[in-house]
This record gives sequence, C-alpha cells and structure tokens, in this order.
Amino acid sequence: MDQETVRTICYLARLEIDENKSEKIQKDLETIIDLIGSLQTIDTSDVEPLYSPLEMTALMHEDIEKSDNKKEKFLENAAASNEDYFLVPRVVE
Amino acid sequence: MSWETVIGLETHVQLSTKTKLFSRASTAFGASPNTNVNLIDCGLPGVLPSVNKEAFYKAIRFGMAVGAQINQTSIFDRKNYFYADLPKGYQITQMDLPIVIGGSIEIIIDELTKTINITRAHLEEDAGKSIHDEFEGFSAIDLNRAGTPLLEIVSEPEISNAKEAVAYMKAMHQLVTFLDVSDGNMAQGSLRCDANVSIRKKGDKELGTRTEIKNINSFKFIEKAINFEIKRQIKILENGEKVVQETRLYDSSKDETRPMRSKEFANDYRYFPEPDLLPVIISDEEIQKIRDEFPELPKEKEIRYQQEYGLTAYDAQIIASSKSMADFFETALQKTKNYTLLSNWLIGEISAYLNKQQIEINESKLSADKVAMLINRIDDQTISGKIGKSIFEEMCTNGSSPDEIIKSKGLEQISDDGAIEEIILTVINENPTQVEAYLAGKDKLFGFFVGQVMKLTEGKANPKAVNSILKDKLK
Amino acid sequence: MSIQFKSIADLREMLDDKSISASELIQESLELAKKYKELNCFVTMNEEFSVKKANAIDVNKKTSSRLSGIPLAQKDLFCTEGLRTTCSSKILSNFIPPYTATAVKKLEDAGSITIGKTNMDEFAMGSSNETSFFGNVHNPWKKGYVPGGSSGGSAAAVAAGIVPAATGTDTGGSIRQPAAHCGITGLKPTYGRISRWGMIAFASSLDQAGPLARTAEDCAILLNTMSGHDAKDTTSLNSNVPDFLENINQPIDGLKIGLIKEFNLSDLDSQVQARFEESKKAYEKLGAQFIEVSLPNISASVPTYYSIAPAECSSNLSRFDGVRFGHRAESTDDLNDLYIKSRSEGFGDEVKRRILIGTYALSAGYYDAYYKKAQQVRRLIKNDFDNAFQSVDALMTPTSPNTAFKFGSKGTQNPVELYLEDLFTISSNLAGLPAISIPHGQVNSLPVGLQLIGNFLREDQLLNAAHIFQKNSDYHLAKPNLGDF
Repeated sequence: MDQETVRTICYLARLEIDENKSEKIQKDLETIIDLIGSLQTIDTSDVEPLYSPLEMTALMHEDIEKSDNKKEKFLENAAASNEDYFLVPRVVE
Repeated sequence: MSWETVIGLETHVQLSTKTKLFSRASTAFGASPNTNVNLIDCGLPGVLPSVNKEAFYKAIRFGMAVGAQINQTSIFDRKNYFYADLPKGYQITQMDLPIVIGGSIEIIIDELTKTINITRAHLEEDAGKSIHDEFEGFSAIDLNRAGTPLLEIVSEPEISNAKEAVAYMKAMHQLVTFLDVSDGNMAQGSLRCDANVSIRKKGDKELGTRTEIKNINSFKFIEKAINFEIKRQIKILENGEKVVQETRLYDSSKDETRPMRSKEFANDYRYFPEPDLLPVIISDEEIQKIRDEFPELPKEKEIRYQQEYGLTAYDAQIIASSKSMADFFETALQKTKNYTLLSNWLIGEISAYLNKQQIEINESKLSADKVAMLINRIDDQTISGKIGKSIFEEMCTNGSSPDEIIKSKGLEQISDDGAIEEIILTVINENPTQVEAYLAGKDKLFGFFVGQVMKLTEGKANPKAVNSILKDKLK
Repeated sequence: MSIQFKSIADLREMLDDKSISASELIQESLELAKKYKELNCFVTMNEEFSVKKANAIDVNKKTSSRLSGIPLAQKDLFCTEGLRTTCSSKILSNFIPPYTATAVKKLEDAGSITIGKTNMDEFAMGSSNETSFFGNVHNPWKKGYVPGGSSGGSAAAVAAGIVPAATGTDTGGSIRQPAAHCGITGLKPTYGRISRWGMIAFASSLDQAGPLARTAEDCAILLNTMSGHDAKDTTSLNSNVPDFLENINQPIDGLKIGLIKEFNLSDLDSQVQARFEESKKAYEKLGAQFIEVSLPNISASVPTYYSIAPAECSSNLSRFDGVRFGHRAESTDDLNDLYIKSRSEGFGDEVKRRILIGTYALSAGYYDAYYKKAQQVRRLIKNDFDNAFQSVDALMTPTSPNTAFKFGSKGTQNPVELYLEDLFTISSNLAGLPAISIPHGQVNSLPVGLQLIGNFLREDQLLNAAHIFQKNSDYHLAKPNLGDF
C-alpha cells in the first residue's frame, strides 16, 4: 500500500491523517491488509458468499403511511439549521 | 466528415407509492420542509430500513409491460458517496440483482416504429433536495424527497438523435402513467432522465467518449440539451480535439450544457450488498396476482372505446393516448350517455384549451363530472352547443358547475315552440323589406332572420326549432 | 442491607418483601456509581429521571414484572430518547436521540430503570475500552488494567456491583470478552434474536445486543425481555421466543460438548489452560461428555472478521458527516472541507483505521479479493459449525487467551496484536451463533472466562449449561476488592 493509495482512500472516506502519524498509519494499514490477505490461501471456488448469518428473506412493509417525524428535534441536533432546514456551506453546482 | 450520434438514456421514474422505499413517511409533494421525514429518512444513528412492498409490485408491473425478465430474488446494495442531501452517506440501490432485466420500448418516428432495448431497471431511493440560492452563504437541506422510491430504467445506447430521445421519453411517460407506476408529473420531477451522449464517425464500431447530461426534466429540455451537446461534441471533434468524459448540467436559461463542479472528483462508489436488508423474494403467487390485476394499456383502450362506445378509430386513439385524458373520459361516461358528443368535446374544445394552456387535463380546473353535465345539457337541449362553449370557458377559469352557470345567467335554451314563434313573428313584422326580398327568391336572407332571432333571445333559442318554424312562417 | 453485588433475583426478593423500596434501591445504585466514579464506567448519568421513575413505581406498587424497579445500565450505543448517546465518540458527544432503541425500550417498559449510559470503545471498535473519547475504564479487579471491550463500562459497572446487570453489544466478542475480564456472565444471543433498531451500527451483519449480569439466571431474565421480532428491524428473527428460565435448572446429564481441535490450548498461558481443564472436569462431573471436533476453517476467523467488519463500518459510519447531527468542525471552506474536518476531528485513531481498511477492502479492484473473499470464507466457517453441531450440543473454549492487561500494553505498536485477542469469540459472530462467557476462576488475581458456543437459537441450552455450572460452583460469586477506587 503506497502513499498515493492511502491518500485516495482517505479522500474516499473523507478523513485526513495527521502528518506526523501518517507513516505509522500506513504501516498499521499494511499490517492489517497482510492479515486479511492471508485469506487468499483458502480455496473458495464455487463458495457462495454469506452476507448475513440469517439465510432468510426480507419482510416488507405495506404502503401505509406512519410518520415518526420530529422536525424540531431533528433540526436541533444539527450544528447549523434554521426553523426549516439543515444548513451547510454553500454548494456551487 | 459525417458524424453519428449515440444516445443512451437513464430514466428516473418516481414511483407513485404513498410511502417511501425504506420508511413509512409520506411521499406527498409540496409538504413543508423536513416534515415528510421519518427517523430512517433523516439517517439517524441506529435506524434500519424496511422495504416497501408496493414499490416492488410497481417495478414488476413495469417489467412485465416491457416484456422483461423479472428477478424474483433481488438484492439491495449500498452505493457509497458523500453529499449534503444524501443522509446516510450511501444510497440504497440495486447493483448486481436488479428487479427488471431486459425488455424494450417502441417509439414511432415519422410513422416508422423503432425498438429501443432496455438494459435493466432497478429500484433505488431518491436523495433529498439542496436549495442553493435562498440563504446567504449556505445551502439548505430538505429531506422530504429523501427515500422516495425511484425506478431507474437504463436504455441500451440505441437512440440516434434528440427527436428519438424525446419520443422515447414520451413513450416512457405514457407507459408509466398507464401502468399507474408513476404520476408522470415532470414539473415535480416524477420523470426525469440523464442522457449519455457520444459522437463517432459514421460507420465506426466503437463508441466515442460520452458525456452525461444530468437531471433533465422536460421533453423540450431533452431535445435542446441533446442538440446542444451534439453540436458541442462535433465541434470539438472537428477541431481535432478530444471530448472529455464528464458529467454536465443543462442550463435552460442559457440553452447550454456545462460541466458540473460538484462532481469533478472521480468517485469509487464501493458497492456492496446492503447488510441491513435481507434478499427480497417475490413469490409466484404474487407475480400471478400482479399479472391478473394488470392495468389496461392504450392499445387495448383504443379498441374498447371503439367497440363499447362507438368512437371513431381516430377519436379513440387520441383519447387513449394520454392516461389523464383516458381517465377523464372513463369517469365522465359514468355520468353521460352521449359518448360521441363527449369525445367530440374532448378532442375539440377541451384539447384546444389544454394545448393553449400547455397543461394536462388533470392539471386543469375541469372535472369529469361537470363536463359530463355540460354534455348532458347540450344533449337534452337545455342549452345550445354555442352557449355550451361559453359555459365551458367559464368552467375553465373558475371550475364552476354548468347547471349553476345556466341558472345564474339564465342561459336555458328556449325550446318552447310557442315562445319561439312569437319571437319569429316579431322579427318578420319588424323587417318587411327583407321578408319581401326573401320571398322574391333571395334565399341567403334566411340566415339573417335566424341571426335576428338569436340576437333577441341572446342565443338561447333552440336552433332546430328556429329553423323549422322560420321556414314555416316564411312560406 | 447493601444492594452492591446483588443479582436481579436477589433484588427482586428484597423489593417484593419490602425490605427496600424502588426509590431506595435506585438511590443506592446511583450513589455507588458516584462512589466508584474513578472506574469511569459511565459516560452520562440519568439521575433525575431514574429517581422519578422509581418514585412512580413505589406509588403504583404494581410489581408484576420481574424487572420493575431494577436499576440497569445501558451501553452508550443504544439510542435513548432525550438522553445523550455518544458511542464514546467525540463526533456524537452532543447527540440527543429523538427515539429509544427497541432493546432498551423493552427493558424500560418492563419497569427497569436506566441509571446511566456506560463507557465503551469508540463505536464499539476495540477490545480494551482504551479507544473511548471519554477515557479508559478501569478493571474493578485491578486499577490501571483494562476491563476488556468494547462493552467495558457495562462489564465494570456490573463487576463493581453498581448495577445487577447491563446491556452490551457484541460484534466480535464485545460482550463476552469484557465479561470474562471482569469476572461476570455475558451472553451474545443468536444474530437476529434481539432487534438492532436504535443500536448504533458498527458492522450490521455481526452486531448483536445482549445482557451482562452476575449470573446466567439474570442473563436469562434480561434475554426474556429483550428478545423478539421487531418490525423496525427486518433482520430480527420472526421465531418464537421461549421462556429462557423454564429449563434453566434441568440436569445437563449427557450434554455433548465439543472441543475445537484447531484451537491449540497448549499455546496458552499455563494457568489459563489449567482453569480450562478444571472447568472441563467440573462439567464432566455434572454429566457432560466431551468430544473433539474439527472446524478446519476456524483459524481464518480473525482475518475474515477484519475484512468484513471494517467494510461494513466504513459505510455505516458515513452518516457521521457533521450535517444533521454530531460534531461539526468550525470554519470550513466548503462542504468537502466540512466532511473531512468534522470526521477527522470527531473520530479517534482506531475508528479511522477501521474506516480506512474498510474503504480499501470495498474499493474498485479489491472488493473480490478482500470483501467477497471474506464472505466466502465466512460461509466455510459457518459450514464448519453446522457440521460440528451434528455431533455436539455446544462448543467450549476459553473466552479470551489472556486475562486483562495493563493500560497501553497491547496493540499500540501493532494493532493486529490486539485483534488476536478476539480469536475465540469472533467465529460465533461470523456464523451468527449464540455464545456465553461465564467466570471460572482467576489467574494472578484477575478473572478468566469460559466460553460456550451454542447452535442457532439455542440460548436456552447455553443458559442451562451455564446455570448448572454456577449452581455447583462459586466463581461467579467472587467479588473484586474495590479498595483502590
């Protein structure tokens, strides 16, 4: 894992790393990737991935409205909001 | 050099469910900001999605209508990216196992039919809305739309020009509205598309570099945006330059497309199966039920209108081509028996009015019941067709009922022979010169007498009665 | 009579025979929390509300429910309406949920009283509780030692006798390992047994809530209330919930317990090994039979887990973006800057590490090699368990290869060192199986735990086996000396 890759995944994850920690983090990531990489030795041809321990199907909801809206409380938790909206720095499209 | 355009469309159809794809919040349009937002739609920590069954049924209905394969097992995936109106930092969509695979749609261009194949259609949730211009220095986020079910329909790159693209979208609009899959309201964003446009030398096998024009929401803009983009790309290629693969936005005020700044970073969406949702399985019984309850499509309606109501092929085709018109017709004929007069009105007066206003009938103030009442009043000779037209004008502006208008304005037709005879005698007495001329063989003056009668009765005299009595008296 | 170290069953008796009122009980529990503040078990107390609810219970005098008036502590990743919920993270340090998690709501509806929210590893990522934004939790058995994690605050609060029981969550051992390190009983139920609604997600396909208590019997009491299908969590099981107390006293004569061949216990500390051998003998005496079983892929559990869990976490934690809730960095240039700064300031190092690993494992070109591969190996591991349960009723392992360690002594140089602590616990999360940790003695005055893994939905068997063990031993009655706190 090179520095460029670390930069790319940091950007994808919207995280930045302290410069003085970046070498350590890169090393940590490499160690972990090595650990995960050990799976390559296992033969998994024709094995279906198991995405959930529950091999069941989803229950669906009926198309009937049921509101649990709490607009004021939702907006109260936001760092910036007015009486109607969440606010973020202006986005130019 | 001769160039060839290749267009593929990704159509986003907002499904007309009452609730969202993963929550039971209302999808009603126009609610006050952030009120159609449940805990789930706000993306709060700890919330979990559950799937709306009706959205699946609607998607399947669409798939059946275009002759596609329906995946009875379908899986949701997460598409990860950050955006202010995407509350969870990922969109729940379908990547590997979409509900609909394949199928096709027919379009008619210059009376020739062309088939556009559909690659796939999948369910996904819509994002919220960012409002950029209302608050100084801020964008404001309204999550009312977040989680609204969308069916994204991806066409094969088989569309050759803007005109075909518009025809495709019109066919799509017709289909989804007749299927009751969507309200098709383009102004409210219920039907919109992204157009992938590329240019290549005529005869080339490989596709040129494409650009994607995002979020076009009217037939007119589709045509303009694509035509602008075609010209732009050809100009680039003719200058020996290369088209840059990018996402562009159509600006209708300037009639141009330009690159979107917010999408300038190449993204890696890191799709993976949504672990909060187990696979959805639609049973054979459910499939059968959807088939059994399949709505009537335009072609079937056309035939039925001719057979059951005696409409001409032409009239039937026009009325059956628009869902709102067909619905209107079918509601109105519950209340009137004069189907021919009703269809004449729909195709004549009413269509003319709607075209002038550039609206659909369900967006007008007209109700099927009231139009049926108007037809009945003409049919039972309470009013003349001409008075009917003036009443219709009033109905269009204020939506009032024909009976009320007739009553308040005293517009009832005079059909009483005695009363008409009295008026005719007055006219004859007052115009001796004309009577003489008429009797001397100037037949054209007959119209003059009719006009006089109508003038005296403010147009309310029954024209048939006027004609026959007048003829009798002028012998 | 002090309420400290009392079980739910004991406290129920005291409340019922009026030797204590609910108000007195809650008051005392709150005072114990204050007295042992230095343990740092709690992130947020719920004093005012607790006192009010206890008074109301005393006035009503209706104690039909076993849990009525019983003080409990909730891990701080369960959303509690109106009560701050932080996941021990700076990014949520000001978050007031507008709703309550189903598991907590069920406990509260049954009359129990949430006295506070317990400290944990940030977003449940850790095995030592050292990643909390609110500081380390001390192991009640030894100051300066970790309580285990991630449900470290819950385990310590129960071990110190402040509350008889607490909730936890377990993604790779986060209930069982701290229970082992703190000398208490902790149960991770079958995946889907308890609703995840309102549980702030770490890794959705692995997370499961469960109880930490002094006894298996108390775990059964809590499980009875917490379990059941929830329409709000479509991954919660739609199957009948038995009364877990009903068969808890049955003799375990003939119980077949599997020992996993691939776990070479001779590599362990000799004393940890010795405790294990003693417990094996104790079970044999109670009528159990031991059979060696092979789970060929089980050694791949740790790498499998550290591919799946970070991948799911990287996506689950995307919602912490500073827009609608949680920490937002000041003075940001634009939206992207806001995301990057808010998240970088808000998350600690371990959380960042896992988000980055997960982002990498899911990224284009690596998905098949890491994420998908791991999910395939996961199926192999599950198949191994299915095979094993053809011949045994439960599997037995130590809960953790080691006892609690000193703050800062593990994983600082190499994070993987700490990940290997989860060796025995992780596989049951991958397969969705229930597992329990019970105390079975000490090594160097620090508790060690014994783990039993059960078949799908067979918590009843685990609780029965654990209860019979506890009826015939007194390891679970050992109390830490809290003189240092």
